[in-house]
Amino acid sequence: MRKQFVFGVVAAIAVAILPTVSAQTASADTNWATCGDITACGGMDALVAEAQKEGALNLTTILRNWADYGDALDSFKAAFGINIADDNPNGSSAYEINLIKTAPAATQPDVVDIGASHIVDTADSTGVSIFAPYKVQTWNDIPATWKDSTGLWFGNYSGQIVIGYNAKDKVAPKSFKDLLNPAFKHSVGIAGDPTGAQESLMTVLAASVANGGSLDNVTPGVNYFHKLKLAGNLSSAPATAASVVSGQTKAWTDWSFNAPGVAAQAAKAGTTLKYVFPSDAAVTGTPYIFGINKNAPHPASARLWVEFMMSEKKGLLAKDLDGQDPYNLQQGTEKGSTLFNSLMGGQNIFRLGGAAPILGSVMASHKLLVPAPNVILGTSGATAVPTIAQQLAAVAVLKTAWPKI
Amino acid sequence: MTTQIQTEEVLTASNRRQNLFSGFKFPKTFLGLLPILSFAGIFLVWPLSAIFRASLHDNHNHITFAVYRELFTGIYREAFITSFKLAFLSALIAGFCGAAVSAALVRTSGTFRSLISSASGVLANTGGVPLAFMFIAAYGQDGLITKFLLWLHWDIYAGSFDIFNFWGILFVYGFFQIPLMVIIFTPAMENMKKEWAEANDSLGGSHFQYLRYVAIPTLIPAFLSATLLLFASSFSAYATARAMTIGNLPLVPLVIGTLVDGNVIPSEANLGDALAMGMVAVSVVVIAAYLALLRFSKRRS
Repeated sequence: MRKQFVFGVVAAIAVAILPTVSAQTASADTNWATCGDITACGGMDALVAEAQKEGALNLTTILRNWADYGDALDSFKAAFGINIADDNPNGSSAYEINLIKTAPAATQPDVVDIGASHIVDTADSTGVSIFAPYKVQTWNDIPATWKDSTGLWFGNYSGQIVIGYNAKDKVAPKSFKDLLNPAFKHSVGIAGDPTGAQESLMTVLAASVANGGSLDNVTPGVNYFHKLKLAGNLSSAPATAASVVSGQTKAWTDWSFNAPGVAAQAAKAGTTLKYVFPSDAAVTGTPYIFGINKNAPHPASARLWVEFMMSEKKGLLAKDLDGQDPYNLQQGTEKGSTLFNSLMGGQNIFRLGGAAPILGSVMASHKLLVPAPNVILGTSGATAVPTIAQQLAAVAVLKTAWPKI
Repeated sequence: MTTQIQTEEVLTASNRRQNLFSGFKFPKTFLGLLPILSFAGIFLVWPLSAIFRASLHDNHNHITFAVYRELFTGIYREAFITSFKLAFLSALIAGFCGAAVSAALVRTSGTFRSLISSASGVLANTGGVPLAFMFIAAYGQDGLITKFLLWLHWDIYAGSFDIFNFWGILFVYGFFQIPLMVIIFTPAMENMKKEWAEANDSLGGSHFQYLRYVAIPTLIPAFLSATLLLFASSFSAYATARAMTIGNLPLVPLVIGTLVDGNVIPSEANLGDALAMGMVAVSVVVIAAYLALLRFSKRRS
């Protein structure tokens, strides 16, 4: 009875306050499908309120273990009460773009996270971009190379090539050269076909750098893998979390941002994995790219999601709250901007996942970075990042050379 | 079991009689064809024409035939040769092995027979990633059978043995191809009447003559159509090969995968579509060869 009374009072106050709050922050005629930055969208309070009204966000090709996306999804869901659907965690960049171009309106993704090489495919058949221009609050901190000047797309995070191995291995590899050790007979793995998987392409480029080649010349990398195959070490079975845990793959390369997730998964199965930055090649991939679908079924949630993932805030993760509710998330009475500012931003979540957030250097100078996970041994050092042109040139060589290794 | 078959035979016989005596009226027959025609239209003609149309348009929506020239060059030509070789050998080997199993199976009965039949039914549908995983778990570097053989002092990996190459994939495909052959070929073997062999015996024919003049001519059409199905199923198989290779084996379906569903190669989906049309062309040629062989075998018998 008493509870009901309290609830009634809270509800009455909320009803009394709400219209004035929304009148202050958003004009009724905000066009959520076209507003191009937080000001045009009526401020963070209005954006959060509208996103909560939509109540849903469609994503695609997001893996929980990939760059710690799992924590990002959980925080976003818990803080804003917005349901997130991921139609196909194991999709590809090509798949994501096709989904926007061909899927029925209601099931289209709101935001996609694609490989940089696929930016060229984000125009429809008439040459018009499939993305809606939107500049996040941290827009000026994004390096100019990795953003479209009109706001159609922008970089978010990238991964560095690391070598993983089982703690039980007799030899602890530290470099590409070490993978030639006879201890790794038949058991050195890569994620897949370098003409289909980014991390494998970057692995071959890194192997090239380690063997006298460069980002402009992938051939020494191909020769290295040929040597690895002749030594009987290269396994043609793709390196997966399962093959690594089972011991089929004893040493492998991967994105740095897969390391914490895979290591945690292996730990549950009783296997200790270790990761190291190869001492003979420091190569970081081209960043992944965000774009908001022009026909997003949830335009406000889409904009809130990219604001969240590009936020530099140190703040809290949903799991840090540990069941407590200091921000009255359950009641939903906190202002949207207060909620947003209290959350750990996506850029730091990416960092927790072992990725290099694209705003990393700016955040470092402002002392906004959380500590990196201590899963990866060695030092990353100064890394080389290929351009999209260098990447495509390497692919052109690999198309013919790779099947013959 | 026996009564069921008999009833079925009676039913088909009466159907045949009915068909013979009822007059053929064109519109009625056409109506009967409608379901199959619309099915073929929705699931065959429409997708095919969509892929064909897409293959002729480049990324800027300009019409181009350039991709079709690429099919006959370099790695794409090689992929077609490798895929054809794999499918052909797989169909041939699984065809003969499966036929042999079927021949043995029809001579058995009871629990053993139903065990083999149902096992074939399950295995024929075990493809894709689960099959690759089972195979790696058994014959991989750390596999159960590998370990067992090592315990018997036979290191199968000592030489150049590898399950993740052309021969390995051929071996793996056998695990669903042979059971598939058993399933589709056993009914043909069952139709071989005991009386035919008895007639051959009573007329003084040898076992060889029975095979040469009765069994093989009767079974050839069924054998050919079964192996054609095997060819198609390994020619188009994707997931198993993808889960066992890292691009070291150029198979057409895998190459198409990197072009239309990859993370690395942009703007070449139309080449993937053209490769798919190339696969259709190969299938058409194989079906034509099958029909020719069928006619030839019928004329000979």
